Amino acid sequence: MTRYIVRRLLWGVALLFIVSALTFVLFDLLPSGDPAKLRAGRTATPQAIAHIRHELGLDQPIYTQFFDYMKGVVLHFDLGYSFYSHASVKGLIAERLPATVSLAAGAIVIWLLVGLSVGIVSAVRRRTLLDRTAMGTALVFISAPEYWLGLLALFLFASDIGKLAVFPGAGSYVAFSSEPVKWFTALILPWLVLAASFAAVYARLLRGSLIEVLGEDYIRTARAKGLTERRVVMRHGVRGAITPIVTVLGLDIGTLLGGALLIEVVFNIPGVGRLNYDAINHADFPIVQGTVLLAALFIVVANLLVDISYAFLDPRVRFK
Amino acid sequence: MSRPNRPGGPLAALASTALFVLAVAGCGSGGSSTSTIPLKAGESPIGQQLTGKHRGGTLTVYEHEDFEHFDPGEAYGGQDYTVLYAIERPLYSYPPNTANKLVPDVAATAPVISDGGKTLTVTIRPHIYFSPPVNREVNSGDVAYAIERGANPNVANPYFHSYFNDVVGAEKANGGLIAGIETPSRYTIVFHLTKPTAALLYGALSLPLSAPVPPEFAKPLDAHSPTTYGTEYLVATGPYMLKADSRGKFLGIGYQPGKSATLVRNPTWNPHTDYRPAYLDRIDINIGGEPTVIGQQVLKGQNVVQNDSPAQSIVKEAYERYPQQITFTSGSGDYYASLNNAHGPFTNIDLRKAVWAALDREAIAKVRGGPLVAQPMTHFLYPGVAGYEQAGGAAGPKVDYNEHPEGDMAVATKYMKLAGYSSGKYTGGKTLQVVGSTGEPAEGMAQIVNQTLQNLGFKTHLSLVDQSVMYDKYCTVPAQEIDVCPNGGWVRDFADPQTVLYVPFYGPAIEAQGNSNWSQVNDPAINAAMRKAELVVGEPARAEAWAKIDEMLVAQAVAAPEVYVNQANIEGSGVAGVNQLWNSGAWDYDFTSLK
Repeated sequence: MTRYIVRRLLWGVALLFIVSALTFVLFDLLPSGDPAKLRAGRTATPQAIAHIRHELGLDQPIYTQFFDYMKGVVLHFDLGYSFYSHASVKGLIAERLPATVSLAAGAIVIWLLVGLSVGIVSAVRRRTLLDRTAMGTALVFISAPEYWLGLLALFLFASDIGKLAVFPGAGSYVAFSSEPVKWFTALILPWLVLAASFAAVYARLLRGSLIEVLGEDYIRTARAKGLTERRVVMRHGVRGAITPIVTVLGLDIGTLLGGALLIEVVFNIPGVGRLNYDAINHADFPIVQGTVLLAALFIVVANLLVDISYAFLDPRVRFK
Repeated sequence: MSRPNRPGGPLAALASTALFVLAVAGCGSGGSSTSTIPLKAGESPIGQQLTGKHRGGTLTVYEHEDFEHFDPGEAYGGQDYTVLYAIERPLYSYPPNTANKLVPDVAATAPVISDGGKTLTVTIRPHIYFSPPVNREVNSGDVAYAIERGANPNVANPYFHSYFNDVVGAEKANGGLIAGIETPSRYTIVFHLTKPTAALLYGALSLPLSAPVPPEFAKPLDAHSPTTYGTEYLVATGPYMLKADSRGKFLGIGYQPGKSATLVRNPTWNPHTDYRPAYLDRIDINIGGEPTVIGQQVLKGQNVVQNDSPAQSIVKEAYERYPQQITFTSGSGDYYASLNNAHGPFTNIDLRKAVWAALDREAIAKVRGGPLVAQPMTHFLYPGVAGYEQAGGAAGPKVDYNEHPEGDMAVATKYMKLAGYSSGKYTGGKTLQVVGSTGEPAEGMAQIVNQTLQNLGFKTHLSLVDQSVMYDKYCTVPAQEIDVCPNGGWVRDFADPQTVLYVPFYGPAIEAQGNSNWSQVNDPAINAAMRKAELVVGEPARAEAWAKIDEMLVAQAVAAPEVYVNQANIEGSGVAGVNQLWNSGAWDYDFTSLK
């Protein structure tokens, strides 16, 4: 097991290196704004632009820029400075990460609770009105664009602009450390909107998987042993059906921690996703690079944890 | 001299950066608000109350786009100016309700222009103090340093070489002392010029670059590349300051990039030295968010305004349902399609006139949001800029290709024939390279221009790219030989017509990169007229001289005009907002109050 984890971690490091290199190359190849010109202004002299380009290291060959960048990351965990605000990328990410983690964590709890419950009930009561209603609703949430759903939620339920003033509106997010109650209430709508489509997907996924598992021989054996149906479903059925859910969950968590861009924009939550979005628009490469690295790191770690969890969820899995 | 107009709406606005300019969202300004559209009560800023208003309270400001610079040496955009003119005081400034009347600010009086326009002397007002931690009185050396640091590559002021190059020694300055700037006394600063262009310099002294900067505080920060003055540390001279710690550090305290900014009262501000009433106690700025949500929050809110341009749907809703909560300021810049005068088919003046005649400017105005925020453009000086009326006003010069803003194919055909295409359609075989910007309304504008070209028989290759790419890779790089850039535009820097016409149309100002003369206009007669006009002294005479140049540009059809734009501003029901008119038409927080 230890060897497996070490090997996976080494692969993870290699993956992060490749992701960094690809980001560098893509940013260099794809047409985007010239950071030096952006900083210098439209009427700046060529000399001023050249000076800024030099100061930013943009006049170096791309491999030199990449080497310098990676040296900073590896030796000092230095992600550089924003071309735009000149703020430390590490500092900006650290400042934005709590909002993204808050958003993701709450949404994950909600969609797991709702999605798994609905999935189990639908599987157990398949082809009933309840099942059809649940799956139909799930389809609606899967089909509804997150951005649109967010706007709809605000126009219906936000205390400042909604028809029914129930929850705090956009821009009301505060840090947990400053006002925990306000933090909680401000995130209720974003959590619900973000969780909606995920819960729908998970419900449909678990339903399908559980229906398949409930037809297995060992489930029939469990029932033959006289176990209660509840125990059969929850202990034997769900445990066997949960593996694909865990796989997807790992990816989703990793992706979300890299920033839930649309929700962050609609609800004006200053998270990593919005930081990345603004940086792309400003050709602010150090921030783009930093946030991409962060997202890749989360995905690598989340997948590693998922793979490890297989051993505990499914006794047939052994690490080699 | 001034800034290219940003063509995008809210999303395109997100795509812009610092000096990419401003937009309808925040720029430009205008003059006397001589809009021809039927404005309802409360829409025109001209009658806004300036004195005797409620004092105190906190104003909440929403904006979906972050600021670019707080350093008065770097800032060059209408959105930044809304905050900068609340925290810094230049030598001269424009009170609200006027687009053209400069008044002394840090200066005590109007400047003395002598030596045939080659020397400009400014007396500084006493008892103006820097905010903590500097806390000392401003002197002429602080103004000199503020301007000199503009040439420091670590500051790289974007308009230094446009407006201050005629100061003796400025051309080769790099942040050190400039020989042509003298400070003979604590309260006197003298500018010696190589040419008699003091009138233009006087106008430029209204820009943030002339706001005093204390050298003992800023010099160590300016040694960093880029400077950390204005990005981490800042001191104020105006009624407000960015909330900061005892060292003057505001980053992470009064400003969280992409999140918020907080303006509080400057404890050292002396109201007896300032014409600004500064009614508000505090201004909380929320950065980011979805434009339609922000718009709703403002319209349904109380003590709240939007700092940047509202979404088109919000403008419509505000106009129809909340007419007392929206203002429109005309003269926020213009948009035109540049036609390459140096290469390709549009070296032929008649082809340029044909495009002008055929282009449906009314359709472009609709795409930009309709008559509330855009009107068909008829010449290059726009409403509110001195010389606009002399150059033809709203109707524009009386030439046949300008008479029908809805497009006139008969006139266009006439010019196609004059250009040598007897069928009235282009048969030259050249495929035009047309490069526009993504995002609405820029895309819609580009499509209309492209369709117009095709109607005239041109084969076109339309590329819609990110706004920054359009600027940096194509439209500002003459070597790319782009034939048409349909999303060009311009906004003046201050109330002088030279700032509207010089950079975009003066031939010798064409640069190999970062070129703002997109049409590559290099007409010897126009160049000579500009060189002559920049030496003219006195507003009426300058207006007349530049109006004549405007007429020459129209006669040459150097570009195809599209629209003049108005700035829309929205406020909550509890706000008595005041707009500045000289630059962007945005809110003036020194005069805005709560009800």
